[in-house]
Amino acid sequence: MLGFSDAWIFAGFILAFFSALFCIIYGVINWHKGSSEKDGDYREEVRWEKEEIDLIEKLP
Amino acid sequence: MFYLITFTLIYLIITIYLSYLGYRRTTSVSDYMLAGRQVHPVTMGLSYGATYISTSAIIGFGGVSALYGFSLSWLTVLNIMIGIWIAFVVFGKRTRKMGKALDAHTFPELLGRRYGSRFVQGFSGLVILIFMPVYAAAVLIGISRFIEVYLNIPFSTAYLAFLLITACYVIWGGLKGVLYTSVFQGIIMVVVMVAIGIYTYHAAGGIVSAHEALTKLTPFIPQYLKEAGHRGFTSMPAAASPLWWYVITTMIMGVGVGVIGQPQLNVRFMTLKSDREINRSVPFTAIFILLTTGIAFAVGALTNVVFYSVYTELPITAVQGNIDKIIPLYIDRFYPQWFVALFLVTLMSAAMSANSSQFHALGTSLSRDIFEQALLRGKSIAEITIVTRVGIVFSIFSTLFIGLILPESVIAVATAFFFSLCGATFIPAYFFGLYWKKGTKAAAKASILSGFFISLFWMLFFHEHESQAFGLCRFFFRSNSLAGHPWNMIDSQIIALPISFIVFFVVSLVTKPVREETVRSAFRHI
Repeated sequence: MLGFSDAWIFAGFILAFFSALFCIIYGVINWHKGSSEKDGDYREEVRWEKEEIDLIEKLP
Repeated sequence: MFYLITFTLIYLIITIYLSYLGYRRTTSVSDYMLAGRQVHPVTMGLSYGATYISTSAIIGFGGVSALYGFSLSWLTVLNIMIGIWIAFVVFGKRTRKMGKALDAHTFPELLGRRYGSRFVQGFSGLVILIFMPVYAAAVLIGISRFIEVYLNIPFSTAYLAFLLITACYVIWGGLKGVLYTSVFQGIIMVVVMVAIGIYTYHAAGGIVSAHEALTKLTPFIPQYLKEAGHRGFTSMPAAASPLWWYVITTMIMGVGVGVIGQPQLNVRFMTLKSDREINRSVPFTAIFILLTTGIAFAVGALTNVVFYSVYTELPITAVQGNIDKIIPLYIDRFYPQWFVALFLVTLMSAAMSANSSQFHALGTSLSRDIFEQALLRGKSIAEITIVTRVGIVFSIFSTLFIGLILPESVIAVATAFFFSLCGATFIPAYFFGLYWKKGTKAAAKASILSGFFISLFWMLFFHEHESQAFGLCRFFFRSNSLAGHPWNMIDSQIIALPISFIVFFVVSLVTKPVREETVRSAFRHI
């Protein structure tokens, strides 16, 4: 078991790699998904961004 | 010293330049550019990762790994599955859509507008304002312990000096253009951590040999740890032993689950333009976490092998019990001087990227959430800029004070404290806000208040690691905890989070729903 004496540790070590692999596969499968949606109109995006810039301007 | 000054200067010049560049690009574009601007997935991955992973993970949790061994591999699993996949896919997508729909720019504002409650926004901002300096101090202690060991100067001097550098950076524009600087900082972190990982496994004889050598060190583990349930660096602690409860519920689950309620991370989703950006960012962020925390925790455990082979003593003995010094001592003793200086730059990257986002959250909590919404009831006045600056200076001073009074071996504990507190306080209202239209304003208030106060009560009177430090339980009841094993070892989040969930659900069933137009507006892109 890769030199580990406990199956739980072996599982945690392997699962760390598998969870990263899972995220990679998720990203690849969904690489083109979520692009065609229309999230509000153009004005809403601009309004949000301008407010955000205003907030940043108030910071030091 | 030559390497230290050269690397530090190069790092600071590049960081300040990128900060200026990022700020200019943020504020000087047309409406058309604003609406179409996309964040590259690698940029998002590195930036989110650099904010998430700080010196606390490398120095604090690296030191915890040196003490408890590979048990912390499970924290890497949770960091990736909960901290990345669930955070991005389950929470992030809806946070982005709802944030835009409600025109929310801070995490408390998202909650406040979702439930139509100024109290929710103001109180959440207050929790951040009061308790985030504990986490900011933990991050600064991380790098200060390294400077203490590396330059052989007192901890308080190192802490003051680095806080001064951070304060200058923050006050002279470090909070603007954070996205670009954190990408640069993230790249440094990955490169150096990979180099340390390769060197450590090589020095310990290869992957399997290193783990086997670590297993053979079990007899040398201090007796007090064995009595608490330590069964070796490559074994989990004995089931249901005090150490098992502590490692699982505080070290692994405290941070692993509590990350969902982190305000400085959740706001990042609102800056994205589409779900596609979130989908594409997931792999890069996961790889970043694996290469930084995964390596830090493995290296932490393996310091035992490298130390023992040279000094025939475990690092915990070499640092006289202060686990925050284990990684600094390991780097200082076993790496060439130029690399030690480079590691310091890595820690600066990790500290500054996390600190920037923390002070950003602190400043906006005070100005926007507490001052503008809760106190001025939505009015915006010119003095807010001044209030923000005062807020950040106040935060820097409270971070200074907290950092100097905290005891040794505290980095991971202080981090877990803040993550647990945020988890129990915010997660139910956040989750139901995104997914359940019938959640009510009263339920959000009750859930946030119960999560917060039960957590505090548990920390002060039950969970021994905190109650012992505060001393309130001993003062009133002449004992460090009101209950014995295992309750005195169970983290507050394990108790407070389920209660906070139940409170939200039950109160929602019996109270008036949120105004229909507020709910319709919040869910209009979902």
